[in-house]
Amino acid sequence: MNYVVPLLLIAVLAVGLIKRVNVYDSFVLGARKSFDLSLTVFPYLAAIFIMVNALHASGLDVYVTKLLAPPFRLLGVPAEVVQLVLLRPFSGSGSLAILTDVYNNYGVDSYIGRCASVIMGSSETVFYVASVYFAGTKVRHTGWAIPIALLCNLLGAVTACLLCKIM
Amino acid sequence: MNVVWTVVTAVALIALTVIEPQSVLTVCLDSCSQAVTTALGLCGIYCLWLGIFEVADRCKLVESLSKCFHALNKFLYGNISKVAEQYISLNFASNLLGVGNAATPSAIAAIHETERTEKLSRSGAMLFVVNATGIQLIPSTVMGLRAQLGSVNPSDILLPNLIATAVTSVVGVALVFCAYGRAK
Repeated sequence: MNYVVPLLLIAVLAVGLIKRVNVYDSFVLGARKSFDLSLTVFPYLAAIFIMVNALHASGLDVYVTKLLAPPFRLLGVPAEVVQLVLLRPFSGSGSLAILTDVYNNYGVDSYIGRCASVIMGSSETVFYVASVYFAGTKVRHTGWAIPIALLCNLLGAVTACLLCKIM
Repeated sequence: MNVVWTVVTAVALIALTVIEPQSVLTVCLDSCSQAVTTALGLCGIYCLWLGIFEVADRCKLVESLSKCFHALNKFLYGNISKVAEQYISLNFASNLLGVGNAATPSAIAAIHETERTEKLSRSGAMLFVVNATGIQLIPSTVMGLRAQLGSVNPSDILLPNLIATAVTSVVGVALVFCAYGRAK
């Protein structure tokens, strides 16, 4: 796996050489767009981070986790990973921190640890992705896109816990 | 998004004001600085990949890639412009290879290409759901962290992870078909 990215980079450059493309000029031209792109994304990131950090600092996230633990248990999701499932749609770095906590508290190879691993691997930061993707477009009404993605994340968590029990 | 963000942020800030009023401003300012650092970090990532994409595009590599995925793209997204199809193919290939960092700039470029109105189109929703249901074959971050913390077998989550992402991706795509109908 360590070779995928290096090989990819070398291959593109090599093909460029063979086809006599101005590799250097093209790279610079493409790379220039990155600044505008990250500038468009930036204010949306700020909004998301304020929400997530305020939730965390106020302790509301722990409260909501406690509140939602029983319904999650009905779905087969252990209480120890509920916080991870809830935070995952909002923050990648935040959920990675919680994942590390879970590993340290319950062990990497325990049932809880493996559940958390698969939940993390099979879900995405839905709201973060939405804000980054739709930044800079006219889109204001996202319709079913976000509900579908959230439902799939939940389904992923339930499947993860089920699979870790039998595998 | 407007309502969700405003309500959640307001409630969290009210709770924080009651518990610890002096930390409200710090939390908000820290979040904004965090956005600056993240945006700069993303800028670096986009810089590398957009540069490489441009080279690949000039070599007609993207065109060939797009031809490989043509049938799949037609089924999922319907009739979209050639440019959008190329970006979507790039995005899909990056996801499959587990280069999530390269997936984001191509998805953004595709969305810019397909979305012209205030209402998200079917193809835009499909692209978003495909990416947000995590079509990632190898969860490298998670496996790296497991190895670092002394797991006996860091990769034993590979198979359950693969099945779980397959389930979410299939259900996600099916739900888009339910909500928006077949691709036109």
